[in-house]
Amino acid sequence: MQYQSQAVAKPYFIAAIVLFVGQILFGLILGLQYVVGDFLFPEIPFNVARMVHTNLLIVWLLFGFMGAAYYMIPEESETELHSPKLALLLFWVFLAAGVLTIVGYLAVPYATLAKITGNELLPTMGREFLEQPTITKIGIVIVALGFLYNVGMTVLKGRKTTVSVVLMIGLVGLAVFFLFSFYNPENLVKDKFYWWWVVHLWVEGVWELIMASILAFVLIKITGVDREVVDKWLYVIIALALITGIIGTGHHYYYIGTPTYWLWWGSIFSALEPIPFFMMTVFAFNMVNKRRRNHPNKAATLWALGTAVMAFLGAGVWGFLHTLAPVNFYTHGSQITAAHGHMAFYGAYVMIVLTMISYAMPLMRGRAAANSNKSQVVEMWSFWLMTVSMVFITLFLTGAGILQVWLQRYSENPQPFMVVQEKIALFYWMREVAGVIFLIGLLLYIASFFVGRNEPEAVAK
Amino acid sequence: MPPSDADPGPQEGQGLAVAAETLYLVNLLLVPGVAFVILLVLYLRHRGSAPALARSHLQQTLAASLWAGLLLILVNGLILWLGGYDQAATWMVLLLYFVSCHAALVLLGVVGLARAMAGKPYRYPLIGPRLPAGN
Repeated sequence: MQYQSQAVAKPYFIAAIVLFVGQILFGLILGLQYVVGDFLFPEIPFNVARMVHTNLLIVWLLFGFMGAAYYMIPEESETELHSPKLALLLFWVFLAAGVLTIVGYLAVPYATLAKITGNELLPTMGREFLEQPTITKIGIVIVALGFLYNVGMTVLKGRKTTVSVVLMIGLVGLAVFFLFSFYNPENLVKDKFYWWWVVHLWVEGVWELIMASILAFVLIKITGVDREVVDKWLYVIIALALITGIIGTGHHYYYIGTPTYWLWWGSIFSALEPIPFFMMTVFAFNMVNKRRRNHPNKAATLWALGTAVMAFLGAGVWGFLHTLAPVNFYTHGSQITAAHGHMAFYGAYVMIVLTMISYAMPLMRGRAAANSNKSQVVEMWSFWLMTVSMVFITLFLTGAGILQVWLQRYSENPQPFMVVQEKIALFYWMREVAGVIFLIGLLLYIASFFVGRNEPEAVAK
Repeated sequence: MPPSDADPGPQEGQGLAVAAETLYLVNLLLVPGVAFVILLVLYLRHRGSAPALARSHLQQTLAASLWAGLLLILVNGLILWLGGYDQAATWMVLLLYFVSCHAALVLLGVVGLARAMAGKPYRYPLIGPRLPAGN
């Protein structure tokens, strides 16, 4: 670790991993509720479990992004962080807000939560992924402002690199687009229109910038390839991500009451959205093939290559699968969407955070470059278990989705939703088994932090 | 061999190797058939005269393209023929197979392209001919 203040990233990463475990546990509960409808009812109803599963994902990824930024920015800027104390204070504020919100979801009915948090003063609750009480949303904005001030001041006083500037653009974009969660018009079409400005422009816009910059940072460190080469790739990737992703928002505007030109704009631009992910995959493999040194942290290299591949598959291929308007007419909101969502989030954002943790954690825990071989072997096992089980989760959900579309929407005699759900239950069971294997992989990942701690550090061969 | 600090610069035949891998990907992603014909012409023109790196990538991509045609067109045709056009299960198997197989072939091409850009040979796993000893 080159700068002492980079250590503030450590609690962020630890919190991210703990919340990740919570997310997966609730995922397993949800998966079981698909086939055993009254499992844990009325203690944890399906809608609550789903809300906790998705909200935990968002919160832990934000912890991961902030941790990554606190680690990267001092090193890129070649100076200490502007205020490590502020970073730690904001960590506790964000953690308290996040935990209280989740406890609120679980402890009281959602309507009661809305009432006791004063939602009627500025109604923002009740929308998918943005279910947080208004007061939590205000807390998120305050944390984001403090965070951006802290890393922004660090960038301003130090060296400016392409990596840090792209990261900052991504983080500022993240904060700015979150503000649309406060806009909650009566008109349902307008509501959905701007809701996507948060959801889509995060994951298919500014988050891609964050992902690309973290990937670039780790690849520079582990391959030793010239920064100029990486910079050129980064320019092309982020340009393509924004060109395709911004107007690609249109693929959410099909058949919801928006003008019909969105059928064309959405189809054309979102069909191009796989390109930046394709470029990221070529970029990652190209850098590793052109490496100038063998870094002893093999696990971080594996995560870096893995995130590029899985993001291309999940976001690129599975996104393209149902993005064209005539196809989406049938597939919208089916299990095909769930398949895409799972693999895309895992590939692009879960894995990039784990890439960063894999690279940075050994350094923050006193290693010169990497963990012991034993620890890395366990970590690489966790990589394969989680990644392969996510591939199977995606395949099972895709199979379920295709059958669902056929039986419920495409055939001459469409069947009711719940009848079809029973017919695809086998896929849900198989998804649940794959989910259990995913959890085992995650537990192994946590074990890798404790295994081989007293053994010597791995060396480059 | 461990990586060195010195940039060796482009290898002999690297441009042709990159072109071959690019055409393989273009055949899968953008203009199937047309890109394959161009790849075939490149192969026929350069198979005897090109440097070893280019020859290797031309051979690999041509073989992989032929396998891709077999796996994506013939196997899908077979699934459709055996399963029946009006069966939900047919379309489920067909779509799952097509997406997975096509994506896997594209990913192999990405690795091949990255290897070509780094001036290194690459053997497509299972579907590519064996590389000469020493590669």
